[in-house]
Order: sequence, then C-alpha cells, then structure tokens
Amino acid sequence: MSNFWHWTVIIVVIAHIVAYLWLLLATSKKKVDKREDNTTGHVWDDDLMELDNPMPRWWLWLFVLTIVFSLGYLYLYPGLGNIKGSKEWTSVDEFKTAYEANTEARNRSFAGFINKPIEELIKDENAMLIGKRIFSNNCALCHGSDAAGAVGFPNLTDDDWNWGGEFDNILTTITGGRMGVMPAFAPALGEEGTKQVAAYVRSLSGIDHDTSLAAEGEQKFGMFCAACHGPDAKGNDMFGAPNLTDDIWLHGSHEIIETALYEGLNGNMPTQKDILDENRIKLVAAYVYSLSNQ
Amino acid sequence: MSKHEKIEKNIGLMGVMVAVVISFAGIIEIAPLMSQASVVEPVPGLEPRNPLELAGQNVYVSEGCYNCHSQQVRPFVDETLRYGHYSVAGESVYDRPFQWGSKRTGPDLARVGGRYSNEWHEIHLMDPRSVVPTSNMPGYPWLADTPVDIEQTVESMKVLKMLGHPYSDDDIANAAASLTDKTQLDALVAYLQDLGTAMPRSYQ
Ligand code: HEC
Ligand code: HEC
Ligand code: HEC
Repeated sequence: MSNFWHWTVIIVVIAHIVAYLWLLLATSKKKVDKREDNTTGHVWDDDLMELDNPMPRWWLWLFVLTIVFSLGYLYLYPGLGNIKGSKEWTSVDEFKTAYEANTEARNRSFAGFINKPIEELIKDENAMLIGKRIFSNNCALCHGSDAAGAVGFPNLTDDDWNWGGEFDNILTTITGGRMGVMPAFAPALGEEGTKQVAAYVRSLSGIDHDTSLAAEGEQKFGMFCAACHGPDAKGNDMFGAPNLTDDIWLHGSHEIIETALYEGLNGNMPTQKDILDENRIKLVAAYVYSLSNQ
Repeated sequence: MSKHEKIEKNIGLMGVMVAVVISFAGIIEIAPLMSQASVVEPVPGLEPRNPLELAGQNVYVSEGCYNCHSQQVRPFVDETLRYGHYSVAGESVYDRPFQWGSKRTGPDLARVGGRYSNEWHEIHLMDPRSVVPTSNMPGYPWLADTPVDIEQTVESMKVLKMLGHPYSDDDIANAAASLTDKTQLDALVAYLQDLGTAMPRSYQ
C-alpha cells in the first residue's frame, strides 16, 4: 500500500474509534427534560408514545467492549495501513500451515500401505477405498462411476488395454496422460480401397462383411494400418492403437470404422500429475488395476 | 426542533448521512486495493484472452453459467486439494466482468483449463447426462450450430482495449479472420480450456 493510503487508513480508523468513544460519552451524559409521565413527548398515530428510560448499563458496556476489542484486534492483526500487527498473521501463512498439516496427516495414513507391492496393495481394503474415492472425484466423469467407460472413453474394467494393462503401464497412462491419434486414411485409400479395408476390419471381429472386398482389403491393411495396429491387428500399446479383432470398440461400435477412415479419430486422456500427487496417483492406479485383476 | 429530531423526521437526510457513514468503510477497504500491485497487475504469463476465448467468455456470460459456477478457488485445504492452487487477484485482471461468483450448484471452474479434453467438454455441454448421468446441468445443444458473433467480439476487444487490455491494433484487425467458421461451442470450450492456466494447477 502506498504511503498515502497507509496514512489515510490509519488516520480514518483511529479517528473513527475516537469519534465513537466521544459519541458514547456525549450522549450518555446528556440530560433530557424529565416529563411527568416519563415519555419523550413524541406522539404518533394519535396515542402511540415512547418511554424515556435510560439505556441499560450492561448494554452501554457492550459498546465500550467493542471499542476495547477493536484496539486489541488492531494490535494483534493487520488493520492499520501497512502495520502487520504483533502476530504477523497473513491468510497465506495460515493456509500454508493448514496445508502442511494436512499433507503430513495424509502421508501418515498412506504410510501403512503405499510401499506395498501391487499384488498386496490391491488386497488392502483401505487403500482400495481411498483409490475408489479418488477415482470418483477425478475420473468418473469421463470413465463412468463404475469405470465401465462411454463412447470415446475406455472401459477400465475389462482386459482390453490400448496402452497396456500392467500396473506400470497404468501408472504411466495416468501420470503423463495419453494422446491417441488415428489419422484419416480415406484420401490415401480412395473410395474403393476404403470399402475394402473397412470390410476386412469387420471380418476380423466376425461381423457381417463382403468376403471378396475383405480379401482385397487384407493386403491394404498390411500396407496402411499394420504399422500401428500390428500385422495381426491385435493393437499396439506404444501408439495406443486398439486391438481390432475383439469386437470391443473404444468409439462405441463397429459403425465407427468408416468414420475412423474418413475423419480420423483421437482420444485424449489428460495428464494427472499436475492435479494429483504421486501417492494419490499410485492409489488410483492400483484401484484401476484391481478392477480387472482380482 | 432538536437536531436529532430533524434527522429522524427527514428520511432523505437520514439516508444521505447513513450512506456517508457506510462509505467510510468502503473507502478504507476498497480504495487502497486499486493502487496495490498484487491486485491490479497481471500474474506473470497471463495474456489477455484471444478473440476465440473472448467470444467464449461472452457466451459464458450470456448463457448465465455463473449462476451455477464460481471461478474462485478459496485458500482452504479442501478446496485446493479438489480444484488446485487457490486463486489470486492478478489472475482475473483481464476478466471484465469478473466471474468470481459465490454460487456453486456445479463445481468451481477457476482451474478447469486443461483438466479435461476438448471432446469431453463438447459432449458434456451438448448433453451433460451422457457423461455424468446424475448431472442437473442443462444441456446447451444449440451452441454447436450457432456461429460466434464476430462483430460483437471485435467490439468487445475495442472496448477492453480502452480499459487497458494490451490488445494491439493488429490483434483487433486479425480478430475477425480467426473467428470465421467458429461456433459458440468452439469458443466456449476454448475459453474453458484457458481458465486458470497462468498459474501452477496444483498446490503441492
Ligand atoms: C498412426 C497410427 C495408426 C495407423 C497407421 C492406423 N491407426 Fe487406426 N487407430 C490408431 C489409434 C491411436 C486409434 C485409437 C484412437 C483413439 O485413441 O481414439 C485407432 C483407432 C482405430 C479404429 C477404432 C477402434 C475402436 O475401438 O473404436 C479403427 C476401426 C481403426 N483404427 C482402423 C484403422 C485402419 C483400418 C487403419 C488403416 C487404414 C488404421 N486404423 C491405421 C492408430 C492408427
Ligand atoms: C477428460 C476425460 C478423462 C478423464 C478426466 C480421465 N480420463 Fe482416462 N482416458 C480418457 C480417454 C479419452 C482415454 C483414451 C485415450 C485414447 O484414446 O487412447 C483414457 C484412457 C485411460 C486409460 C488407458 C486405457 C487403456 O485402454 O489403456 C487409463 C488406465 C485411464 N484412462 C485411467 C484414468 C484415471 C485413473 C483417471 C482419473 C485419475 C482418468 N483416466 C481420467 C479420458 C479421461
Ligand atoms: C443449473 C446449474 C448449472 C448451469 C446453469 C451450468 N452448470 Fe455446469 N455444472 C453443473 C453441475 C451440477 C455440474 C456437475 C455435474 C456435471 O459434471 O455435469 C457441472 C459441471 C460443469 C463442468 C465440469 C466441471 C468439473 O470440474 O467437473 C463444466 C466445465 C461446466 N459445468 C461448464 C458449464 C458451462 C460452460 C455452463 C454454461 C454454458 C454451465 N456449466 C452451466 C451445473 C450447472
């Protein structure tokens, strides 16, 4: 605060306190002419009158008390311009202290299980309870409260993993996030080629398809798609390319195949390391792992 | 007539005197802040909103999202654990009107930028219940087929520039081009993805 405001605040605050004190003393000393009927003499609505009794003493003392309180407050806490007050209190410091105490308490309650190997961790009821809560607060809005996913958001309860289902894969996925990108291939394949590859992809999951088109498509799949989805179309954890042979569809159903080829697809699992600390990431990863590894 | 009676019987005079007394508190609590750097200077790295984000802010205000969402993480442990680093004043110097708010039917949005993907925001704004089955947030499906109001956005930039937002003449001249073919949904998502990103997301 600039010097000008520093002094303005001090002067106005002190002047107010002095003025209140003066007002209190001045009005409490003032004698009103006593009337015989002990009223102020005001009459409203023909016959409504006001008694003129002095204020109760204890009430008056409350006013004095507020003034004493304000002086004590201004001594202890910041209130007079830039003066910090004897306690040097700030809201940021108060927050820091509370946050550190909370972190310590959290770490203490995690200490019992956070370093357990994963196979034991998933058997620890408390750990799984905490993991589930973290999941509900941070992940459920995309993956569903039962973790069964939605169109574009993978099911985390099955054995089908695009980025790997080992505990370490899951930990990496959650910590750093994932970006699955499937470019549009229709321009390169042409209309006929797109039909052929689509038929071949349908055949892989045993869905109705035109066999002669699919036969043509197989070779094109090897040229255009195998680099990411693998020559056997079983997917690749490195690129997050899904397994195309299991009739499990990240983007809803096999209806997506044409869209995938004409428009491309992408999925973005946002990084969590800026949102959750390491311990909480480990617990939620363990919870996710436990859903398909009982 | 005593002085006291004069005031008591003249409601206009009493009103004026009450206002004068109360304004002392206002002056002492508010006026010094207007010259305090931590309140009026942007935090390092804060940029004024680009045209698309600004259009999004205008949609946010006109659709009344603030009726259910605040944009202020208060400095309490539970809030910072849930939403991230508490908000500081220097983050909202380019918010006119500011969106701090106090009504939380839905979660605070001060640090929602980057937290979810664009796809999720689009699905959620069109039909919240398709991703959060128990949500009572209304859907805003028309945003996807309503183009952004380019003229209004450019006018907004001019007014904000007068109020001190550091837009260059080039920024304003190029704004219209960067908004062609954008829908209100694109703008709103861009705005949401920008919220709170000038500060570290979490307090750790
Ligand atoms: C650059 C690597 C890459 C190439 C090449 C590629 N894909 Fe993909 N594909 C992906 C990724 C990554 C995804 C998952 C997209 C996501 O995360 O949303 C995907 C998803 C798909 C899906 C949707 C799967 C589902 O479960 O919803 C289909 C179908 C598909 N690809 C078919 C193909 C075909 C056919 C080709 C060849 C023409 C091909 N892909 C080439 C990476 C690739
Ligand atoms: C904004 C929505 C969103 C949020 C929030 C989110 N995820 Fe995801 N997650 C996704 C998407 C989309 C994918 C798929 C990425 C892709 O297309 O490859 C994914 C993928 C994953 C995968 C990999 C699945 C696989 O098949 O390999 C795991 C594990 C996962 N998420 C766990 C979590 C956890 C745990 C949280 C909470 C801490 C979380 N996610 C929060 C959207 C989200
Ligand atoms: C009637 C109150 C209401 C209104 C109006 C409303 N919301 Fe919501 N919003 C909610 C509730 C409740 C949730 C939590 C459930 C959910 O995710 O849908 C929420 C969640 C959200 C979220 C996810 C936040 C998070 O961290 O989980 C975003 C983003 C959001 N709203 C944006 C908006 C925008 C933008 C508007 C205006 C176009 C808006 N909301 C209008 C009630 C509302």
